[in-house]
Amino acid sequence: MIRAENVTKIFGSDPESAIPLLEENKTKDEIRELTGQTVGVNKASFDIQQGEVFAIMGLSGCGKSTLIRCINRIIDPTAGHIFFKHPERGELDITQLDEEGLRTLRKENMSMVFQHFALLPHRTVLSNVGYGLEIQGRRRQQRQEAAQRVLDMVGLGPWGRSYPSELSGGMQQRVGLARGLATDAEVLLMDEPFSALDPLIKVDMQQELKRIQRELHRTILFITHDLDEAMRIGDHIAIMEDGQIVQIGSPEQILVNPRTEYVAKFVEHADPTSVITASTIALPLNSDQFVSTGERDGISYLHRKDLPHVRFGMDREGRLHDVQVDEQDVPVRRLEEVLEDDDARPASSERTGVALTCGEDAVLRQILRSRLVSTLPVVVTNGDGRVRGLIDDPELINGILEKRGEIP
Amino acid sequence: MGELFEFLHALMNDPFGFVDLPIRQAITDIVNWIVATFRDFSRTYISPPVRGVMSGVQGALNSVPPGIFLLVTFILGWWAASWRVGVFGVIAFALIGFMGVWDQMIITLSLVVTAVFFCVLLGLPLGILSSRSDRFYAFMRPVLDIMQTTPPFVYLVPAVMLFSIGNVPGLIATIVFAMPPVIRLTNLGIRHVNAEFIEAALAFGSTKRQILWKVQFPLAMPTIMAGLNQTIMLALSMVVIAAIIGAGGLGLEVYAGLERLNIGQAFVGGIGIVLLAMVLDRITQGLGEKAPGVRDRGE
Repeated sequence: MIRAENVTKIFGSDPESAIPLLEENKTKDEIRELTGQTVGVNKASFDIQQGEVFAIMGLSGCGKSTLIRCINRIIDPTAGHIFFKHPERGELDITQLDEEGLRTLRKENMSMVFQHFALLPHRTVLSNVGYGLEIQGRRRQQRQEAAQRVLDMVGLGPWGRSYPSELSGGMQQRVGLARGLATDAEVLLMDEPFSALDPLIKVDMQQELKRIQRELHRTILFITHDLDEAMRIGDHIAIMEDGQIVQIGSPEQILVNPRTEYVAKFVEHADPTSVITASTIALPLNSDQFVSTGERDGISYLHRKDLPHVRFGMDREGRLHDVQVDEQDVPVRRLEEVLEDDDARPASSERTGVALTCGEDAVLRQILRSRLVSTLPVVVTNGDGRVRGLIDDPELINGILEKRGEIP
Repeated sequence: MGELFEFLHALMNDPFGFVDLPIRQAITDIVNWIVATFRDFSRTYISPPVRGVMSGVQGALNSVPPGIFLLVTFILGWWAASWRVGVFGVIAFALIGFMGVWDQMIITLSLVVTAVFFCVLLGLPLGILSSRSDRFYAFMRPVLDIMQTTPPFVYLVPAVMLFSIGNVPGLIATIVFAMPPVIRLTNLGIRHVNAEFIEAALAFGSTKRQILWKVQFPLAMPTIMAGLNQTIMLALSMVVIAAIIGAGGLGLEVYAGLERLNIGQAFVGGIGIVLLAMVLDRITQGLGEKAPGVRDRGE
């Protein structure tokens, strides 16, 4: 959807003079010494897929806010290209657009959410949400209806007539988010949108964003200085240091395989339980930990060496058929359902009375919580329902202790 | 040797005797030229609209019975600021009436309203232009300094030569003297609008013009209102001086009292001006705080 190629921004009186030095891989400090120019963004390249949340993470001053402003050219990049896949007009190079083209892009295809909300204090909440629609030239009636719909979506339906100053920080940012969503732009640029909020509200907003994103599937570029936030929200994460992108990958890839010291230092303090997935820690079926106990009526059974009384039956396609404890069938349920429904949780004396299955993308935290319901090994299945492996206490403990290994 | 000594002696004692800058004559010539060239223009194109607005305002104010005037003052003060301001306005205007200078006050108020009307009409666009072009502002700054610091007496004479005696030259002098705050504070207000609002407007594809009218201007409103308040105060301070060249009202009361050494008369006019100034100040300040951009300042 958006592809950045060597996007570079140099601040100073003569930005061009620093470009050849960047080619020689001189550092930011060396370039400042030699030319007096400040490197904001240094040859950043990335590719954002349609419908994903792409998080850019870095400490303050690393150039992440400059980079996001290069994407909609509120800041003009000194060099490099940014390609945008326009739904009708094909691939556009944003860096080549003229004033008019740029305005159209911002009006129709790209909106933005700001760290300090930047809501217009003299306009009501509804009129703030409708600002982008107003600039698009929509009629009053139409834009009020559209704005109200988005306002309902962020949970602020009844607040349309209020002024931003009457709202709390969290609510103000909901308005900011609603304003960004209202124009139906394909791309949403979010510049540290939750950094100014209280920790509790922040988590709320992250969940809210995920919920809305499940519904709308926008392409989101999300800037943050908080690795946990990036991991919770981002489908992919780019880590920036001193104007350079030092690593791009899925949260799990970055957590398990940090490429530089700098990334490793961040990751050290990250919470693995919400990032590490079942597929990473599961004991694969082909492991020698499993013992096959033969076949009956087309169902083949196996059990773990250390747990002979719990047997798992699979059909010919490799789907889970049944789970037996001491030759007795136990009910099998989805882990996700059990976690959502408290009533389904049996008393602790029955914790071996139910077996759970989970998808490959279930995270460590969920599996840990499921241990309150069932102490039997959790069966990991893929999208087709085929069994990929089992997770029992040894796998969980290794996962928590930041097992660093290969990602399948 | 002796000649050189004499020359140095003269240079030290009277260095200015060597050059005689004919500035008086030059300015007299320039003003005469301006008057000769523009007299017809100013009397045909500038005087009538100024006089027209003035007589319109005066007619309107005169048509209001004083009792209604007091009532309106109360409501306006209450709405713009608080009931206290409303009550204060009524007391101040009643005092003016009791002192027997009601009609003069109406004339002065008309002069001020007319002058402020033209100050805003010209000052607002100039202020906006100044905020959008550094070059234009660089040109405006010395002009504004001249307008504000030149003693008003200096340009009373050319004003009379261009516009003859009466309310009009007084108004022109008042407009020149009172306009700078509107220009300066419009410029300042627009320039000081927080960059994040501009950025947000830009990010949604606004044009420069849309940013001006939808973001900068409304947010600059409290500052612009402060400028307007200053302009009103300056206009009031000019009414006595304008009386010298024939403007009427409370200023004339003061001027006439001075001429006849009638201290009582002069003071009545002076007190009237002060009271009028206080009422106008409180009401316009209240309006400034009601301005839209003022919401949640500092939060």
